[in-house]
Amino acid sequence: MLVLTRKAGEGIIIGDNIKITVVEVKGGNIRIGIEAPPEMKIHRQEVYDRIIQENKEATQWKLADLNSLSATLTARKERK
Amino acid sequence: MKTIQSRFGQIEYDPAKVLHFSEGLLGFESLRDFVVMANVKEGPLFWIQSCEDPEIAFVLTDPTNFYLEYKVMPDTSERTKLGMHEGEVSHTLVVVTVHEGGKITLNMAAPLLYSVSNNRALQVVLEKSAWSTRQELPTVDAK
Repeated sequence: MLVLTRKAGEGIIIGDNIKITVVEVKGGNIRIGIEAPPEMKIHRQEVYDRIIQENKEATQWKLADLNSLSATLTARKERK
Repeated sequence: MKTIQSRFGQIEYDPAKVLHFSEGLLGFESLRDFVVMANVKEGPLFWIQSCEDPEIAFVLTDPTNFYLEYKVMPDTSERTKLGMHEGEVSHTLVVVTVHEGGKITLNMAAPLLYSVSNNRALQVVLEKSAWSTRQELPTVDAK
């Protein structure tokens, strides 16, 4: 991993179209500004990891579950 | 018609009706094509089977079955990725997680946008939203 030391107001350029700026350093927090093309996906690491984990867990189902759930959910809708 | 293997046996499908994820789903970026399977039982759930990996299938639902107000609009770059033209609309679907004991939650923090005109879909991440990756179903008052 490339490690660089930056002060508030300083930045990093990645490739031709990504610019990262350290906006503010306060307490234990660092505010980072990112300029990148709109099609580039930018996520907080923990949010991204949680979604990958949830997608993985979502593949662990059984056809029998789907059948029994469908009956429950249909009954629920009729009750509404 | 073509056939593929799934965890639930062999499936016959129409290649023209395959759902295409140009970026895959998060964590499954290499899986691009899915067959949409109608559920045999009546109800809001259906499932999609990967054409490329027999082990991978997801249960999906239209979230407005449970949360009427939930609506996700694609931004300009998402519209481009979906190959949508002016005036075309997308539908929103969510991945359902079936937990031990049969409880289900909806991943409403990372919905799927689906362009009906060309069968393309995209999983998007709602960064600034109160919706959870494990949104529980709203409680229903019994009459």
